[in-house]
Formats: sequence, C-alpha cells, structure tokens
Amino acid sequence: MKSISRRALILYLLIIVFLVGSVFTYYNLVTNSNKWAMNRANRHLYSSGGFTAGDITDRNGKILASTENGVRIYNSDEAVRKATLQTVGDGAGYIASGIQTAFKDELTGYTVIDGIYNLKRYGKGNDITLTLDADICKAAYNAMNGQNGVVGVMNYKTGEIICIVSTPTYDPLNKPSTEKEGMYLNKFFKGVYTPGSTFKIMTLASSIENLPNLKSMTFDCNGKNGKGQIAIGEGYVYCSGVHKNVMIEKAFNQSCNCAFATLADTLGAEKLTATAENAGFNKKMPKINGKISCAKSTLKLENSSALDIGWAGIGQYTTLVNPCHMLTVISAIANGGTAVEPYVIRDITTPSGKTLYSMQVQTIGEYFSPETAAELTEYMRSNVKNNYGDYRFQNLQMCGKTGTAEISDSEDAKPNALFTGFSTNPDYPYAIIVVVEDSSFSIKTAVPVASKVMAAVKNNKELKNN
Amino acid sequence: MKSKAIKNSSKNVNLLIMLTVIMLFQLICAATLISKCEIENRTGIIITFGVYILVELMYFAGARLILKRRGFEVELIAFLLTGIGLSITASVYPSLAVKQLIAALIGIFGFIALQIILRDINLCQKLRYPVAILAFGLLVFTLVFAKFTNGAKNWLYIGGMSIQPSELVKVAFIFVGAATLEKLQSNKSLTKFIIFALGCVGALFLMYDFGTALIFFFTFIVISFMRSGDVRTIILVCAAALMGGVLVLNFKPYVANRFAAYLHVWDYFDSLGYQQTRVMIYSASGGLFGVGLGGGKLRNVFAATEDLVFGVVCEEFGWILAAAILLSYVALLVYSIKHARYARSSFYAICATAASALMLFQAALNVFGVNDVLPLTGVTLPFISRGGSSIMCCWMLLAFIKAVDRGTYRYGGVRQ
Repeated sequence: MKSISRRALILYLLIIVFLVGSVFTYYNLVTNSNKWAMNRANRHLYSSGGFTAGDITDRNGKILASTENGVRIYNSDEAVRKATLQTVGDGAGYIASGIQTAFKDELTGYTVIDGIYNLKRYGKGNDITLTLDADICKAAYNAMNGQNGVVGVMNYKTGEIICIVSTPTYDPLNKPSTEKEGMYLNKFFKGVYTPGSTFKIMTLASSIENLPNLKSMTFDCNGKNGKGQIAIGEGYVYCSGVHKNVMIEKAFNQSCNCAFATLADTLGAEKLTATAENAGFNKKMPKINGKISCAKSTLKLENSSALDIGWAGIGQYTTLVNPCHMLTVISAIANGGTAVEPYVIRDITTPSGKTLYSMQVQTIGEYFSPETAAELTEYMRSNVKNNYGDYRFQNLQMCGKTGTAEISDSEDAKPNALFTGFSTNPDYPYAIIVVVEDSSFSIKTAVPVASKVMAAVKNNKELKNN
Repeated sequence: MKSKAIKNSSKNVNLLIMLTVIMLFQLICAATLISKCEIENRTGIIITFGVYILVELMYFAGARLILKRRGFEVELIAFLLTGIGLSITASVYPSLAVKQLIAALIGIFGFIALQIILRDINLCQKLRYPVAILAFGLLVFTLVFAKFTNGAKNWLYIGGMSIQPSELVKVAFIFVGAATLEKLQSNKSLTKFIIFALGCVGALFLMYDFGTALIFFFTFIVISFMRSGDVRTIILVCAAALMGGVLVLNFKPYVANRFAAYLHVWDYFDSLGYQQTRVMIYSASGGLFGVGLGGGKLRNVFAATEDLVFGVVCEEFGWILAAAILLSYVALLVYSIKHARYARSSFYAICATAASALMLFQAALNVFGVNDVLPLTGVTLPFISRGGSSIMCCWMLLAFIKAVDRGTYRYGGVRQ
C-alpha cells in the first residue's frame, strides 16, 4: 500500500501542470479580453445593421451617432455626418482614431469585471459627449468646399476642440464604392504637413528670445523680376517678393523669406531647435483623452548645412507639423505662453446616468515665456491688421499667420496653403488652423476658409453659453 | 463519545449548507430557464429540474440517514457540475433537457451499481476478462459499423439512440487495468494490459477520435505506473508512442492539417480557428460574473454545448464559476491521492487515481483546446458537456473515486 500511495504522489505533478495551464489560460483571457470582446465577430456588439453602442453627441447634445433597434444611425444632416466622420469614426473600424473605434470599450460599456453585461442590461453602452460643435464642423466642411485638407478650432483657455474637419470624407450612411486616398485618416490627429511660412512664428519666437537687437535689425531682400534672394551658406534662399531693406514687423507681415532665413542662419540649429522643442516639436503630444495619439511635429537640424537651416527657418526643408500640435502651439501663444492639453471628449456617462469621466483643463507646459507670447501676439495681430485685413475677421481682433508650403520641386506642383491664428476678443477664446492641400496662395484659399469658420464661431449662440 | 458526536453533527451541518447552496443555485437556474423558455418547453424543463433535485435530495438523504455514510465531497461536486451541464443543455436545447436528465439518472444509477460491484474484489477479478473482451469488441464493432460524424467514426446509432461506445469503454478500461492483485510490482503482469490498451488506442486512432485515443493512452500510463512503478518502461512506451504519432502525421498529412490552426487560431479566423476564436471572443464578453444564463451568443456556434461548453460557462456564468469548475476536477484528483494511502486494496487506489486523473486530463484537453493553449481535439468537458454517453461515463468513473474511501464500505469503522 505504501508504494502505491507514494506513486500516487506523482499525480500532484499533473495537478501542477493543470493549474499552470489554467493560470496561463486565465492570464491570456484577462490580458486580451478587451481585444477579443471587441472583435468584429462578436454578435453582442455587431449585427448586420451595424454596431450596438452608446450615443455620441456634440457639445450641445446633437446626436452624431446612436443605435436604434440594433442599427447604427448618424446625424440626420448629411453635411454634419461628413464633417464629423473622421472624429466620430465609422462603425466598421476603418477610421482607427475615430471615437467609435478608439473608445469602443467605453461606448459598449465593456469592462473586464462585467464583460458586456451593461450592454445586455441597458441595450446600449455609455454615452460620449464630445467637445465638438456640429454646426461649426458643418460650417468648416462647407467652407472647404470640396478641397482636401484640415480645419481645427480649439478653445485656447480650456483645450476643448470644437471643430475638426478632415477631407476627403464620405457619408457613413452611403459609403462610396471607390476609396479616396486619406478618407479613413483623421489628418488633424494623424497628418503631418510642411508648415511653410507658418513656421516663421517659431523662428520669430526663437529670435525674440535670443536676439535682443531684433527690432533694430534690417534684412536684405533684393533681386530681379519681383523675386528677392539672399545668399546663405553655399546657396540662395528665394523670396516671393522684393522687400529691399526690411525691418522685422514688415518682414513678418509680408512673410519675407530672406529675412527669416537670415534669422535662422543667425540663430543657428541649436537655438532654433531649443525653442521648437520647448514648444513640443520632436516630442509626442499627450494622447487625446488618453487614447488618440497624434503624429509628431519634427524639426531635425543635426548635421544640416547653413542653407538647409535657412530653408528650415521658413518652414521648408524637412520641417513637418501636425495640425493638432500646431494648433496647441498657437493656443499657447494666445494663452500667454502656457499650452493646454487638447480634448475631444467632454464627458462619458453610463446608461444609469453616472458620470464616468469628465474633462479637466490641464496644462502641458510653458511653450513660450509670457513676454515672448505677448510679443508674438502683437506681431501676429499686426499681420491681420496690416496685411490680411480685419474685415475678414470682424469683431474678433484676430491674430494670424499664413503659409504657402512648397511640397515638390516640380514646376507645376501645387503648394499647400495654411493659415493659423486666434481671436484676442475675450468672448471668443478660439484658435484655428486651416490646411488646404494642392492649393495656391494661402491668402486666396486658406484665409477665406478661416474667415468663414471664425464667423461661424462668432455667430454661434450655444458656444457662448457653454 | 461526546467529541465524536460533535464531529458528526458538524459534518451534517456542512453537508446541509453545501447541499442548500447547490440546490439554490439549481433552483435559480431553473427559474431563469422557465421564465425565458417557450411555453411548449416549460413542462420539460420543470420535470427535468424537479426530478433532478428530487433525486439529488433522495441520494443524500438515503446515503446519510439509511447507509449512515459520512463524507459527500465527491457527490456534491458531481451533482453541482451535472446541474450546470443540465442548465446549459436545457437553455440551448430545451427539448433535449429530459433526454439529458435520463442519461444523468442512468449515470447516477450506474454510479451506485458499480459501487456495489466494486465492493467485491474477487468478483472484479473474475469480471476482468469478460469486460476486456466486451470492451474491445465494442470498439471493433464501432469501427466496422459506425459512419463518419464530424470527421470521426465514433458514434453508433441503435434504434434512434446514438451512443459513443468509447465513453463506456473508458470505464471498462480502468476496471480492467486496475483489477489485478497478483504480482503487483512485476512487469510481466503488465503485458496483457499493454496488449489490451494497444488494441483500444489503435481502434480509436482508426476512428480518427484522436482526443479519446490520447485520453486512453494517458490513462494507460497512469495505470501502468501505479501498478509497476517502473519509470523506464513508461518512458519507453511514451517514446514509442511519440514516434508512432510523428509517423502518422508524416504519412497522413491531413491528420496534421486538422491541427494546423494550433497557436494561430486568429489567422484561421473563419476556418480551422473558428470555434476557438469564438470561444475566446465570447468568454471575454462574459466578465467575472457572466451575462446570465440564456444571454450568451456562443450558444449559436456549432458544438457549443459539447466541445465548447467551457466558453458558454465563461460567457453566461462568468469566469469565477468557470474557475470553480476547473478546481472541481483538481479536487477529485486530490481526494483520490489522499485516500489512496488508506485504501483497503491497491485495486481501489489504482481505480480512483486513474479515474480522477482521466477526468482532469480530459478537462485539460477540452479547456486548453478551445482556448488554443493545446490543439483542439474535440473531447467533452466531464459532467458538463451535453451527451448521454459522456455523462454516464463520468458518473461511473466517480464510483471508482468513491470506492477508494474506506468510509464507503465502512471497513475499519472510523473514516480517516
């Protein structure tokens, strides 16, 4: 008997193997449960009609996406649907950064503890209220008028993003059979653009910080046939005009390439990079609402020649900006130098009415000193007043900077037109960025879009109330 | 005398508490099912649970009050697991609830009957050859007359009834393997058993029922080791089997193809990995407490109540209950190992450890198979999967475990 019972002990080994296997199975289940439960094949979430989940509403409670009888529905206005598509996302998950994909857990009410029980119990998950305003998104979509690009508007005091439009877009209720490049991409978060002259804001900021005699400097911009040029390093930087001997304010107003290439050359790679990196270049932005990551803005000047640094100083060379980051930079200038964290979700509530999440205003850091921010504000205000025209932004005391970015050396390639700026009217604490792709001079394309969108912001009564 | 009385009464209270909890659980399941089911199935479900709970009560009352038995761990586990299986069957296939109940009752009857047979070791010795011949004959008969069902040739259809002979042969296999007292620790006594085992495993292989073949092979290893304690022979046998397995996979590549999805189930999402990925998706949907009996979606997938039943438990009853089920099989084996030491005869010790190790191994193949930790072999989860042959086999195997406890036959008076 003794030998039998001793032999039986070896079966404890079997038990250990079984328990290890069980722990491993459960470990897999717990760590992957989120991913597995959100799978497209999960009939709790997906049916032939679409996606069963909570509502997505804009800041005023307008439905952007909802589930009715197991079918996913969207806003009744086609323009609103198209304008908010990239932010709201499609039900099928093609738009990865869309709320419907990135916040699927929250929308379905999924938790590791309860599984999809909430969805079963209430027939829907948690509701998400965005910071977006559907009307302003629609106005921006209409203002783009079929052109491709990005519009973003953000409250520079709170970080609430009230408008995101990324085109080309499509109607989620009537998806086109042919795919257009970029229609699944939210370029506001995921895109990067050559900034062109909008980057002169950064060069100017670095100059304000590092060159005490900036206001007394004169810059050389001479040339033939209406094209100025300046020798930098072993080559030339060209200008769109001949500005002769120009001072800094006028150079900024008229976006003189010679002046800003000279400034970049004077500053050198190190100082220019330091200013840019302090304002979030070459770094990851905090994920929007903890989940949506933004592409990085980059300024890489290691081992660059003087000429390349000159080109980089006017937003060419390899310089790239992400629209959401750039809008955060502009917001920081408007906000006295301090950057606030951008948000797209205002709150998340459970079907029983409990608030799971409510956005809190957070600062990311001091992108600029208050003095630099104040000076930049003055220069940017001067741009609108003296060059773009206050009539385009009535009653907004707008500050801004345009950019026309060459994205190819080819003669007939069309540039990207950019505008970024903000209102200094305390009633409208909003900053804006507009990118129009394959365009022409920004004053003809991006500025009118910005003008229409800011007018919509100004005329929006609900925005003032909350 | 006094302390003994106190001990007895505390045992009684434990039994009462456990029984109350288990029955409460079964009543809640029954109430849920009755509230949700179609009118025409209502009677069937009421009868199923009514009879099941009544039998359960009668069993414990009879064993405790008439037979004066103490210690009901094994039966409590079996009744709990059978109840869960019955709830799932009644929920997914309400019309088959009564059929499953009848199979369970036959199993419980077999459990009691086998205990009576096992009491007489001499009888067991005499029955050994007839049982071996009958069991092997049944497998050969199946091999000849069965038709392929879901890729395996392991079902017999007799007058509208379908049975899986390999399940019944499991009981015979342990019975034959353990029923030897002569020359306990010699290799010679093993030879006949090895031939019998080889025949059974071979027949199962030819039926393409690889999961069951593996279970038999594993049980054979356990019994051989318990009998001889000879590690070398067993390693030799394992090596031979491994080589045989590799040869089969080499010459019959379609056998290997059946396991091609192993560890890559998400790459075979809609083909070979369909069942495993669905189990994972819906297990994950259940959370700790499940979505509730009847609320799941895995039930719509093929073989949900049989091979994939662990996923249904995770989804509808939650991960905690699923873990409790896994621990139940462990508890049965621990029980057997503990009691093997005090067993009246090595026969009981071998029976109990082999039977409980078999169930644990089968549970491992099932649970790890559907979760892609092991290849999916399509075996049932003991006591819980739907299927008459399976539930009968499990209850009869339980008789082996029960027999190892001295208290069962009340030799030696006080239970250890």
